[in-house]
Amino acid sequence: MNANTPTLLEIQQAMQRNLLDSADGHAPVWVIADGLDPGARLGIYRNTYASALATVLRLAFPAVRQLVGPDFFEGAAGLFVAQAPPRNAWLDEYGAEFQDFLGRLAQAASVPYLADVARLEWQINLVLHAPDTPPLDITRLAALSNAELAQLSVKSHPAVRLLRCDFPTDVIWRAVLERDDHAMAAVDVAEGPVWLLIQRTQSGIEVMRLGECEWRFTAALFSGTSLSAALEEVPCDDAHTVLATHLARGCLVDASMVPEAVASGYRRAHK
Amino acid sequence: MSVAVIRGQEVSSLISVKAGIGLRFRHHQPVLDTRPAVAWFEVHTENYMGGGTAPQYLDAIRHDYPISLHGVGLSLGSAEGLDAAHLARVRSVVERVEPGLVSEHLAWSVAGGTYLADLLPLPMTEEALSVVCRHVDEVQAYLKRRILVENPSTYLRFSHSTIPEWEFLAQVAQLTGCGILCDVNNIYVSSCNHGWNPMTYLDALPPAAIGEIHLAGHSVRQLEHGQTLRIDDHGSRVAPEVWALYHEALKLFGPVPTLIEWDTGVPPIEILMEEAALAEAALERQHHERKHTDSA
Repeated sequence: MNANTPTLLEIQQAMQRNLLDSADGHAPVWVIADGLDPGARLGIYRNTYASALATVLRLAFPAVRQLVGPDFFEGAAGLFVAQAPPRNAWLDEYGAEFQDFLGRLAQAASVPYLADVARLEWQINLVLHAPDTPPLDITRLAALSNAELAQLSVKSHPAVRLLRCDFPTDVIWRAVLERDDHAMAAVDVAEGPVWLLIQRTQSGIEVMRLGECEWRFTAALFSGTSLSAALEEVPCDDAHTVLATHLARGCLVDASMVPEAVASGYRRAHK
Repeated sequence: MSVAVIRGQEVSSLISVKAGIGLRFRHHQPVLDTRPAVAWFEVHTENYMGGGTAPQYLDAIRHDYPISLHGVGLSLGSAEGLDAAHLARVRSVVERVEPGLVSEHLAWSVAGGTYLADLLPLPMTEEALSVVCRHVDEVQAYLKRRILVENPSTYLRFSHSTIPEWEFLAQVAQLTGCGILCDVNNIYVSSCNHGWNPMTYLDALPPAAIGEIHLAGHSVRQLEHGQTLRIDDHGSRVAPEVWALYHEALKLFGPVPTLIEWDTGVPPIEILMEEAALAEAALERQHHERKHTDSA
């Protein structure tokens, strides 16, 4: 091979750098001008890359866009996609770092709850595309003794997420998307923090507020801790009601007796 | 949304030699509500990889229509190799949908571990040819089926390319046994952009390998010095010049399943059905002429 001929890997890496940063001048060297500057030819692909990903972010973060305005949003999205390109071709997963990016963006500091709204929208995005899994069958639980029930370990359904926000983000998010100026004006930003449960249901996305204790108990349950350990860890008065609600709403999956967890608990207790 | 989860397909997976339509999210509910007379639909594989409403809609639509899966993310031309996780996601969609056709592009999108969200042009070299063929072999072995590979629309060429694109694509089909998805609009767009003769392109493709044809609209961008560049934006009706080239393609290849694609400012399904009716008429004429020639 001619020493001046790039390998496929070299040309692809050079194009990758050029698409993320037009100042990188290696790729244009190998592009035929044919009446148009090679940099401009690469620019067509750069524009497609940036606008395709800006569209992905616009669809995933509609309330953020509404809060900062379309021009600011496009600008922020442009900076973000140049800094944090997707790692794979499944773009439903793209945008996880956008919330932190917005949190660091000095120009967005005047909207203190912006990053919280972005975090909520990201959880909603995850829930929207989460796998379809049958929820835990309540009738299976009825057959268990109280002792067995106490050792029961559950996990959250993939289409259910928990989020704690410093600001009343649920109210802000709803008011923004419904363009409800009265609701927005009535928001007391000092009302936070809020403890949220986000769930995909047959009728759409639901964002619900839990009490702090309920939320912490739920978080313990969702992490796979046994029911008795969760109760011990977070002793809430209404823990059983919370559990019943989660079961009825299909928030839980994969009930299994956890012999290994029981055994390791035994080992810990008898060390 | 009002979709019951339906398992098991009532309709065979076979894509008939008729005009199909590129199904986008805005068409999901109208298709279920009105069950339009469309022979088959094609969807982007990447839009149905997770759970939730989109795959439920597709299950319900698949119950009544054959589906073709058209991927944009496998990056067949990546020097770095295929993304095994993405290939596994493609396979799970294929298993769920039972598509009549599975297709991808003669292009690359992944470098340096990043996905560049576009179908990027390959240098037409022996090295690129062997990379693409190796990946097509891998995909066909993994999916346990033949795939179709689509010719790209391009806006640049590399100075070290040694093989004409049409020969490159024909070689891929010959060496891997894959089929060709002949995008007539892409041939027209690239030919205008690079000064090629589109008939040279069509003539070089092996008719027996053509498994599908794509038709779409493109736009014309005016550049400085009075130059123009055609952009494959799938945002309008099929251009008259592309219809003319489609008729030439059918003469060479015989009738082939033909898809109407529209991705920018996606219109209601009725507009796409009007375009599909034009393709359908051309296919019927071709069927008729072939029958006439055979009996003569």
